[in-house]
Amino acid sequence: MTDCGCEKAKAELEEYLHREVSDADFLDISEHLAGCDDCSTEHLIGLKLTEKVRTACQEKAPEELRASVLSRLGELQS
Amino acid sequence: MSALATLAVPDDLRDLELALMTDTTPPANPRDLFEEQALPYMDQLYAAAMRLTRNPADAADLVQETFVKAFQAFGQFQQGTNLKAWLYRIQTNTFINNYRKNQRNPYQGTIDDLEDWQLGGAESVTQSTSTRSAEAEAIDHLPDSDVKDALQAIPEDFRMAVYFADVEGLSYQEIADIMKTPVGTVMSRLHRGRRMLRESLADYARERGIVVPEQSLTRSTK
Repeated sequence: MTDCGCEKAKAELEEYLHREVSDADFLDISEHLAGCDDCSTEHLIGLKLTEKVRTACQEKAPEELRASVLSRLGELQS
Repeated sequence: MSALATLAVPDDLRDLELALMTDTTPPANPRDLFEEQALPYMDQLYAAAMRLTRNPADAADLVQETFVKAFQAFGQFQQGTNLKAWLYRIQTNTFINNYRKNQRNPYQGTIDDLEDWQLGGAESVTQSTSTRSAEAEAIDHLPDSDVKDALQAIPEDFRMAVYFADVEGLSYQEIADIMKTPVGTVMSRLHRGRRMLRESLADYARERGIVVPEQSLTRSTK
């Protein structure tokens, strides 16, 4: 089940997740993940981590900040 | 466009923003262009500033200064290149110049040289697939506050590499440009930052009573 391909996939999983591998490597790793429970579970944790961080880090700038930036830009231009 | 230029009183700013967002004709002056292109990134810059400064007042100051500097340098921005990455570069520089020197950070300058064991991490040992399925599930159930706390606790350079890659989806090269470091260093920071985060989240999950099997033989049990 986890024959050749695991080592390469595991080593490049993070770059794969961030789309930083070549197209050829991307296909190879995708193909490997499809058939390997071990690597695809590892990849799932990586995806979850990214998803959680992305969701947790959403912020809305306070309205006062927006207003004060606009007024500073106005002062700079005049 | 001339009508827009006269809308300078604060009450009309929101209308102005709205008009700029929906107006497809080229803006008449640099400020309109800047507001149209750069201001939409305010929420994102503020979110990154929160991760950098760790408090809303400093984050707001940092974002304001970033926009002032970016506006003054806007003539040097090459249209067609990544404006968001450019703004982050300015914000990161501003943070380093204004804030970091006020903080005593024992890691600064040496963090990339520290060994993993010095950072409290360990390469995870072989785990069963079911153990890791449980880990993925546990991470999924954690509240945002735990994730932010965990992120806040990892060293700044690792934290921001993770932030730029995972929250902003910037390329490794763009992150390297922002952090003024080789791509290899970005990869190492990301790898170590994500691993620390993962271990920390497993700890949070255990504290919350979510079952996560001990994942590493080399981790000390308390």
